[in-house]
Amino acid sequence: MSHIHIPDGVLPVWLWLGGWLVALALVWLASSRSGSVDVRRKVPLVGIISALVLVSMSSEIVPLAYHINLTVIAGVLLGPQLAIISAFVVQIVLALLGHGGVTVIGLNTLMTMTEMLLGWGLFRALIAMLGRKRVRGASAMATVVTLAITTTLLVGLVAVSGVTGATARETGALDASNLTFASPFSDGIIGVGLFSGGEQAHEPEPGVGLSRFAAIVYTLGPLGWLLEALVTSAVLGYVARVRPSLIFAGALAPAERIIPGDEAIR
Amino acid sequence: MDVAVLDRSAVSGNSHLHHAAPRTKLLAFALVLASIVVSTNLFIVLAVTFALLALIAAERLPARSMLPLAAYPALFAAVFAFASAPDALAAALIIAKAVTAALAAVTLMFTTPYPQVFAALQRVTPGLVGDALLMTYRAIFLLADKLADLTRAVRLRAGLSGAHPIRSAKATTRALGGLLLYSLDLSQREYDVLVLRGYSGRLKVAERPSTSPRTDRALIAGAVAILLTAALWRVYWISFIDYSWMPLAFALLCLAAALLLRRRNR
Repeated sequence: MSHIHIPDGVLPVWLWLGGWLVALALVWLASSRSGSVDVRRKVPLVGIISALVLVSMSSEIVPLAYHINLTVIAGVLLGPQLAIISAFVVQIVLALLGHGGVTVIGLNTLMTMTEMLLGWGLFRALIAMLGRKRVRGASAMATVVTLAITTTLLVGLVAVSGVTGATARETGALDASNLTFASPFSDGIIGVGLFSGGEQAHEPEPGVGLSRFAAIVYTLGPLGWLLEALVTSAVLGYVARVRPSLIFAGALAPAERIIPGDEAIR
Repeated sequence: MDVAVLDRSAVSGNSHLHHAAPRTKLLAFALVLASIVVSTNLFIVLAVTFALLALIAAERLPARSMLPLAAYPALFAAVFAFASAPDALAAALIIAKAVTAALAAVTLMFTTPYPQVFAALQRVTPGLVGDALLMTYRAIFLLADKLADLTRAVRLRAGLSGAHPIRSAKATTRALGGLLLYSLDLSQREYDVLVLRGYSGRLKVAERPSTSPRTDRALIAGAVAILLTAALWRVYWISFIDYSWMPLAFALLCLAAALLLRRRNR
């Protein structure tokens, strides 16, 4: 769940504004720490890995409402500091292409950032435990655990926002009472039942929406986690065979090429 | 996501919007976005949608390419709406907000070359982030083309076949692995180019001035009018709620007039 698919103007202002502030602080910190050394090598690398993530996100699997993210791969290749910058860049471009929302760029950056950092950390820890020959297994496990955690974060975010339960107008969230009104369409011009709720519309039961949301996310989510884990493990497994230094030393390490079929020579 | 069409329209288009200053378009986009954020009335959000459609029709922008991009977030918003909205009206509002915000973003990107959009962002972001944004956007075109070539090559070698899903999955992940290696080589080449050109940690983009001040003024006036309407219906919603159909009717009239004019001038 690399980003929350919640449009602009649904989450309360304090939440998305807080997301922006935290994300900007982290981006500024990562940028100031990584910007001092060899910026010329980092700029193209961050740009191209971010583009790779965006290209992978551009085609969705319709029945699951899911798209491949490659965020764990990006985290493994970029490392923690550059991953933070890449997450921000990805979300800005996504929002400008109409996918994601501008007000939620901050929260989306935090989600993508968490996925990249967790993926990187778990992959390193699992490789240290299982050994360098278990790249596929380590990357698959890291991906599933990472996506399960970020999906839970998404559900937590929706719970904190209060969007699904009693949605107070003052918070900037949705207010159902604002949406039900006596329109000319309900007075016989066009008898659409959709607008006939009026002031009698009953209050939604708090917590019902959240549990429904969680049920849907946790039902569709695991299929996406599995798919992402399969792709991540296959891609990282392939890269580990042909250019292992990329994975074990990072993308900024000097290039080392092994022609497929010559792996045994090492 | 056909970014090539987007870029062609942004660079080669000749509408009034293309002549407006990028800074003006960004400000107008922010105002429209603010109107979507503050509005909790479906009719007002739909009025903004139809106003944007009228603008697209009047300016003869490539609607066939823009509308699928703007509709893309609807799929994900629909999942969230179905899961969490208390009633059908609230669900429709969530989807309308997603599509309208995306339409505004897509209109901006179809009428403004990306270096001009990112030039404004570069001024408020750290150097590494601003430059990575420019690199990312450029790399999307290269990687999307490369992925299309790789997929075509795999298909021609009968690597993608419904009868052999495992073989297809292996071929697809190898193509993604190949794309990843290509990306890293590309980043190395970009680095070499930057070194040759004397890059010192900041890509500079000169901001293009407006060639049509009248369009600038009209654009800001229109965006302010939209925001005022949305704010009015938000703050004084009890007084105005019965008249919510009026802005929508006005926007529909504008769209009809734009379509008629377009047909007449064909």
